[in-house]
Amino acid sequence: MSQVSRKAKGFSLTRFQRAPRINRALARHPKTGLPQPPVKIVTREFAPCRLEDHYHTTLKDDLMYMTYTHEIGERRAPRQIRLKFDPEDPYSKYRKNPPVGGSQVGKKPAPPSTPENIVRLEKIQLHTMVKEATANKSHLLPAIMQLKALSGESYKAGGRHAVEGIQIIRGKKSVGGWVRPGIPIGAKVDLKGQAMYDFLGTLTEFVLPRLRDFNGVVLPPQSSSSNTPSTVAGVVSFGLPPSAIGFFPQIEVNIDAYPKLSGMHIHFVTNATGIGAQDRARALVSGFQVPFVRR
Amino acid sequence: MLSRIPSRCAVVGPSFRRGLATEATTASSQQPSPSQLPSEPAKKPSRPHIKTAIILNRSPILTRTPTAFEKAYYSYQARIRRALHNPFPYEFYFKQGTLLETRFNLEERKRERLAFGPGFLEKEDISEEKRQANIAAVEQLAQQEGEGEELMPRQHEADIKNDQKSLDRMGQRNLYLVVQVTENGKDIWRFPQGDVEKGQLLHQAAQKNLLAVCGDKMDTWIVGRAPVGVHKPEPQSDSPESVIFFHKAHIMAGQVVADGKNIKDFRWLSYQEIRDTVEPSYWESIKDILSEF
Repeated sequence: MSQVSRKAKGFSLTRFQRAPRINRALARHPKTGLPQPPVKIVTREFAPCRLEDHYHTTLKDDLMYMTYTHEIGERRAPRQIRLKFDPEDPYSKYRKNPPVGGSQVGKKPAPPSTPENIVRLEKIQLHTMVKEATANKSHLLPAIMQLKALSGESYKAGGRHAVEGIQIIRGKKSVGGWVRPGIPIGAKVDLKGQAMYDFLGTLTEFVLPRLRDFNGVVLPPQSSSSNTPSTVAGVVSFGLPPSAIGFFPQIEVNIDAYPKLSGMHIHFVTNATGIGAQDRARALVSGFQVPFVRR
Repeated sequence: MLSRIPSRCAVVGPSFRRGLATEATTASSQQPSPSQLPSEPAKKPSRPHIKTAIILNRSPILTRTPTAFEKAYYSYQARIRRALHNPFPYEFYFKQGTLLETRFNLEERKRERLAFGPGFLEKEDISEEKRQANIAAVEQLAQQEGEGEELMPRQHEADIKNDQKSLDRMGQRNLYLVVQVTENGKDIWRFPQGDVEKGQLLHQAAQKNLLAVCGDKMDTWIVGRAPVGVHKPEPQSDSPESVIFFHKAHIMAGQVVADGKNIKDFRWLSYQEIRDTVEPSYWESIKDILSEF
């Protein structure tokens, strides 16, 4: 007992016992040649997460109060103004059936306010496009290394199949003299969970305060349309120029190792949907101290 | 941004009054019997008296101390991560043979030893003198960089003295402001509150009342425009019925000033402390609004 308590006091990492002895040689992965453990090993949270705690102790309550819309009873079904598509009807069977009154994407109502769908951060996506990569794809390497240093993610890291690491973006269309389909042109990485909050903390504490002439992410003018697809999608995006990337401590420590830094787009993806989703997403992101200004 | 929608502002206006006066309308629509008329003239029920109260919150300023179980879990996960991590690209981050690389290697060996035990590490293939020289150089570097400064203790002086007026107490918990006032000849504790003037918006009245009661020596922010809760005190025999709407607010800086006129005293209390301080009927209305931790 005394030994255990002494150990717990002296070390931050508590070891309980020595690792089991390996009697039999582990199976090797046919491709990588790496030893394969007999069980699936998944790593989870390895430290308390400050910003996640901040979300749960403070932001969540406030966002619920700010975004709550009172509704009495169940919602009425949307009005049907024209006959619906009937697959049995030989007339309409193979005909195009566009929605009445044009696309309804921007007019989708927000789901009813419940404790379960309080706006929350699902993931942060970092995305960079390197123009020179069209001529020579090796120009992508610094951008990939930059994203790697910023996010620390790698393919299926920690045994998690949903972690995709740094992904290469390829051209989709053919644009004369610029993009051809299939050529690597950019890189992106999705951050979730603890890594996402760590990145957000670094961004708001080390980078944004050190940017000159940056008062905040510029909001669209008040007169802008409120039912475009982007306003109902609950994603907040902004970009950082190459000069700002050097302020990240992960990059700053060996900035000479990068031949060229590339700017990137940061997308904060939230669970908000429907009318006013982007406003709710902005309220959440500003709660993590990302400033917004209106010109 | 969010509160642009005017319908979410609660205006003290005819709509609210009509809702509460429904009973009177139905009573007056009934055919009054002739015997009742002269003795009891149609009595108009008095309008409820609307008040706003502010739940002024000091959010946690420290991260929560993990429990023993959480610590063990985190350390286990950290060791798995350490065992499975990708190879570290030394040559990308450090120039060969620099002091920074030496420091990193020394620290890394220390961390490996902590995680997997002394038997796990391979022996360094350098002489003992060289190893000692490395350690000395790294120590000198640490001194130059001013490392090894002591961290602030997680328990503030206010916790030791149990100073309930300090905003630094209980850094890991949500604290709420309660004030002491004399009501009906009795000293009670409640949230700061005040009346709403006619035509005033509730959230504006709440802001105004907070400044009037607690002084303007603090920086606060009221969350949203809509109230977060309601309390109906038991009506006194002579005074009209009253309704108290609660608004949530955060304190950013400053401190309350108790002037002795409006409020006699104030305290920053946690959920459990408020339960033991306020009146039971008041507690029933507010207990679900407050954070338990």
